[in-house]
Order: sequence, then C-alpha cells, then structure tokens
Amino acid sequence: MNDKFSLKDWQELPLGGVVPEGGNSQYYETGTWRTIRPVWNEENCINCLTCWVFCPEDAIVLKDGMTKKGRPRKEVAEINYFHCKGCGLCARECPVNKKGKKTAIEMIAEVS
Amino acid sequence: MSKIVAITGAGAMSEAMRQINPDVVPAFPITPSTQVVEDFSQFIADGQVDTEMITVESEHSAMSACIGAAAAGGRVMTATSSAGMALMWEMLYIAASMRQPIVLTLINRALSAPINIHADHSDSMGARDAGWIQLYSENNQEAYDNLIMAPRIAEHMDVRLPVMVCMDGFIISHCVQTMQTEDDDRVKAFVGEFTTTYPVLDTENPATWGALDLQDYYIEHKRSQHMAMQNAKRVIREVSDDFYKVFGRKYDLFESYRLDDAERVIIAINSIAGEIKEVVDDRRAKGDKVGLLKIRSFRPFPYEEIAQALEGVKIVTVLDRSESMGAYGPLFTEIRTALFDAADKPLVYNRMYGLGGRDLFMEDIDQLFEENKAYLKAGKAEKVFDYLNVRGG
Repeated sequence: MNDKFSLKDWQELPLGGVVPEGGNSQYYETGTWRTIRPVWNEENCINCLTCWVFCPEDAIVLKDGMTKKGRPRKEVAEINYFHCKGCGLCARECPVNKKGKKTAIEMIAEVS
Repeated sequence: MSKIVAITGAGAMSEAMRQINPDVVPAFPITPSTQVVEDFSQFIADGQVDTEMITVESEHSAMSACIGAAAAGGRVMTATSSAGMALMWEMLYIAASMRQPIVLTLINRALSAPINIHADHSDSMGARDAGWIQLYSENNQEAYDNLIMAPRIAEHMDVRLPVMVCMDGFIISHCVQTMQTEDDDRVKAFVGEFTTTYPVLDTENPATWGALDLQDYYIEHKRSQHMAMQNAKRVIREVSDDFYKVFGRKYDLFESYRLDDAERVIIAINSIAGEIKEVVDDRRAKGDKVGLLKIRSFRPFPYEEIAQALEGVKIVTVLDRSESMGAYGPLFTEIRTALFDAADKPLVYNRMYGLGGRDLFMEDIDQLFEENKAYLKAGKAEKVFDYLNVRGG
C-alpha cells in the first residue's frame, strides 16, 4: 500500500472530506473482495480481448504482440489480482468458453 | 453613503443580498420560501445583481443546488422558512459536513401541524445540530448587519462552515422599521472576494467531493468540523469587531443589556428582546436591578462567556420559543449547562412562550420579573418549566 494512504490525524485532512486528486483508484486494493478467482489459460486464449473490454476493473493486463502473419496487435499478458474483484464477467463473456470445448478463463474458488 | 430607510425585515435581508451580489441563489420560488426571494428576484430582473438564480422544485433541491454551486466555486446564498427548512434537513448536514460556506436567511416560523405560519423558533432549533453557524437578530438592523458579516464568517479559512441568519417571522420579517443601510461600495469592500477551495469545475485539478467515509475516517472528519465550529466563536468576534470599526455598530456573541450589577436576568432570542429591554429600562428607572442577555450566536454556543457575563446574577429566567417535546426548551438546556460549573450558581428556570406567534406583552414580561423576584425571595424556583400565556394554565 502506498504510504500516502496511511491513516491520518484529523488535523491533516483536506477540508470537507475532499479527495484532492484524480485517478487514485489504482492505489485501492479491490482484490480482497474476491471469493472466486479467474485463471487464464494462455494455451487456449485466442487474444480476442473480449475479457479486456468487459472487465469493470481494468484488471486484464495487455502486452504488445504479433499475429501469425506478423502484424502488431495487443495480447493478454496476465490478470491483475490487486484490482480483480472476481466478478466472473471475463469467464462468462469469453467466446472460447462459450463454444464449450476448451476453457480460456476458468473461475476457481478463492482459498484464503 | 449610509442612509436611514423604512423597510421590512425581509426587505433588509434582500437589500444586504443585493449588496453582497452572490454568484448563485437557488431558491424555492413560492411559500414557505420568503419575501426575501421575491425581492431578490426583482433585483435580478432589474439587472441590479449578476446573480444566477435557480428556481427549484423543492427546498431539498434548493439546498442541493446550493451545495453543487458552492462546490463548483461560487459564493452562494439562499432563503427559507419553516417547513422549507424542514425539507432541507438532509442537505443542511451535507452542506456543513462538506464545509461549504453557504449563507442562508431564515425567517423563523412554526412547523405544522396544525398549520401555522407565525413566529416560532422550531425550524432553526430543529436544525441546531446540523453543523450550521446560527446567528439570531432582534430587528431589521441586526438582520441586515448579521447578513453582511455572514459571508466573512462562513468563508474564513479557520471556519469554512455555512451560516444561517435568523429573524422572527412577521414580527420582524413583515413589519416596517427604520434602520440604517450602508453604502454599496463599503459593504462590498467589507465582504470582500470569495476564494474557493477544490472547485469541481477546475478540470486541471480534479477532486472528489462527498466520497464514502467509513469507520476509518468519518469520526476524524467530524472532529475537524467540531474544531471549525469552535474557531467560529473567535472569528465571529473578529468580524464583528471589524464591522464595528467600519460601520460603528457593536456586536458580540450575545448582547449584555444592563447586566452590570443585575440580580435578576431574562435570557431570550430574537425580537422579544426589544420588549424586554423596554421593561428592563422601566424597572431600572425605579432602581430594580434587572437585565437582559440576548443570544446572537446559538451555534457555536458561548458557554464560558455567558457564565462569565452572569457572574453575580442571582436568578435567571430563560425564555424558549420552540418546544423540544419531552425535554426543557433548547435555550434553557444550554444556559443551565453553561452555569453548572459556576462557583455561585444562580437559580435558573424555563418558560415557554409565543409558539405559533402567540404574543407576549410588556405586562407579561413585567410579570416575569415579579415572578423571579418572588422565586429569589423564596430561594427556589417553584416551577422549573411552565408555559406562558396559554389558556388553561
């Protein structure tokens, strides 16, 4: 956790409970909310990026890649478990999963 | 140049608003909103102010729009009364907790039921815990002066809290009195420019207002709000001193009227103080050691200062014009608390008067001084609480 989010005394607070900066939700860990966890199976993934489009937490991390014909494209790199809340939208919308023969994203129970 | 005018209380309020020229005035355009809004909308129609007026569909929306406009970075004022204040209830807390220096004129009137539109302090006393600074006014002049001081108190960086300026409905709001208004330029210079903090419309520096605040922070925010209200006591005095230097009329957290060497004192709020002063003068002329303490700032409440002002007083009659059903009157509970630590406690007792605009006459007040004289002689207030001027006793 970033040090600037350590608990402050009342004298140090901005006026009226204001959060005086933008874009700081990236520092907030929502991963602790998860009860089920998406597991990405790279060998079955077709890199259509449907999961990336649907993810409400921007937790599908992309990297630069290449098509078989050598054209540049984005590919799934990993799942960011600091932000992933385990909603399961990625697994539900995944076209590979929908076909039913293979699983590109699997939801498993979170064990603490 | 300052001039003497004959004007209603509501007229005096709207005149001060014209001179302050706020950026935004959101208000409910019909009753229970007040003549203040009607007069002020005339100033807008006549091009005498630059204010953006938002006529909303309810008082809840009026205060919501005030909060939004203040968060956006504007100097914001509004006006209401009675049931209108009650409908603002939820948003009053939000305005104060978000530390928006909104200024509201409140014409004190009764709450229903039965339906009643006359002078009564139930509206503001019901909102006394909302976190607003409350300044009360005996007459038109005080209402006007309080309103001119209000933005500076509200906007002071050690305070940054909303202020409501209160006056009695009809008795003051609708009655014409002579008073002194000040020159526009001098008022504007006194009030000064508004400096905003974290304005929502500043897209270069985004900020979040009204975020979720749970067990880990809510109480710290309340603690800092409490401090702001404590600071307000000092700031009200500073601004009042400055007002005295500029305009020559003296104000404090409360008014001590012939309290020196007084033995028997009445404590009251708003217009009734005018009558009490008359009775005090009559009795003083006959050598009776009586006095009046008139509350100006009810929130913050000046506990220590009042205890000090009442040193040597032997009996105190506290007049309340709003019920706190199942409890003593709200002013009485504060005064008794203020006096609890006094070395030489006076007798203190409570009388409820004037609910729904019932008149209290000079002879009634004179009778009160007779009553507290008898209580003092007996060494005991026989009835700690009672109603005045009610049929059936």
